[in-house]
Amino acid sequence: MSNPQVELHILDLGVITLELDAEKAPKCTENFLHYVNKGHYDKTIFHRVIPGFMVQGGGFEPGMSQKECDEPIENEANNGLKNDHYTVAMARTSDPHSATAQFFINVANNDFLNHKAPSMQGWGYAVFGKVVSGNDVVDKIAGVKTGRKGFHDDVPKEDVVIEKAVAL
Amino acid sequence: MTTPPLPQPVPCVQAPAHWQRVDFISDLHLDASEAATFQAWVQHMAHTPADALFILGDLFEVWVGDDNQDPFALQCMAVLKATAQRLPVYFMCGNRDFLVGTELLKATGMQGLNDPTVLDLDPTLRLLLSHGDALCLDDHDYLAFRAQVRHPDWQAAFLAKPLAERQAYALDVRQQSEARKQTHTNYADVDPAAACAWLTASNAQVLLHGHTHKPATHDLGHGLIRWVLSDWHATSQPPRLEVVSWLRQNAQSPTRGLCRLPLCQA
Repeated sequence: MSNPQVELHILDLGVITLELDAEKAPKCTENFLHYVNKGHYDKTIFHRVIPGFMVQGGGFEPGMSQKECDEPIENEANNGLKNDHYTVAMARTSDPHSATAQFFINVANNDFLNHKAPSMQGWGYAVFGKVVSGNDVVDKIAGVKTGRKGFHDDVPKEDVVIEKAVAL
Repeated sequence: MTTPPLPQPVPCVQAPAHWQRVDFISDLHLDASEAATFQAWVQHMAHTPADALFILGDLFEVWVGDDNQDPFALQCMAVLKATAQRLPVYFMCGNRDFLVGTELLKATGMQGLNDPTVLDLDPTLRLLLSHGDALCLDDHDYLAFRAQVRHPDWQAAFLAKPLAERQAYALDVRQQSEARKQTHTNYADVDPAAACAWLTASNAQVLLHGHTHKPATHDLGHGLIRWVLSDWHATSQPPRLEVVSWLRQNAQSPTRGLCRLPLCQA
């Protein structure tokens, strides 16, 4: 079976195509497709942009209002996939198994996010796919001006909006 | 006020194995009117044997934008550039110099740091680096001001003003700050519960920050420690000039290699 692909249509910037690794990250893939197919990501923003690190989105609407999410999923960071440049991983809180809808695209090789041990400290962040086209769009997002909005730092000055996410 | 959530993942700098000494400084409040403090800084930057230097906010008394080319700003930039050619220099904004941007980083060769950032020094020590102002939860007035001036719209509007107008604003802020110092207002301190929450969320053992001008080492319990950097003031009696360093050779010591050292001179 070929790996599923998802297009993220970014308003004014272009399209990012993600290929999901259904074999190595089955739960993340199923979870991400679930949110894509129910339209969760449509009109959400990349709300946390740190150049040289990662760009994070999928949890907020313009105006920084947080969207409701479903149950958290198991952390699949022990699947051997690395947080390399242009890979996509699930965001979470400090609880390793707390990922819901938010994800981030690595814009550097972030070795320190990789799985080291099945502990609070060592779980790492689960990579479940990679960008197969639209690296330039990712670079553009990483390059936008950011500031602080409310309790959030590193928020783009101009909203970076995912117009729609489409499973191919 | 409740603890601000720490966004995950937290950025991290991994110290290469060859780093033997790392210097941390903050709250120098460099200003053309404080020549002795500036000179002490110049000496330390030229002579520290550190393998890396981390500036954790308020290097400058005020920074009105990277386009500021007044003679003092140019002197500071030359020092930063010369140092960054000798060793990696990392820069985190404070509450005075939060308008430092990518242009200054590019011009000097410094690497920008997010607040907070983890510094992974060795298997026994993960340091959480922050300026510290965001954790002073009782300073309601300041936190409201911070939320205002860190807003991208405010910054864009401010930076669009002519340089002279921005400099006049900076002078105003400085005078207000001086006036506040004269009244001996007891500044708010870092909230211990918030510090613990950040450390736990980032799996770090030691929080290292400045901002409060209350250099000390606090045991937060649960094996967590808070190190506070000193501000710099060369003409105080005794002078307040100090750097916190991490020495790999002392990594097994009770302080895990952290210590306070006098400045380096020629």
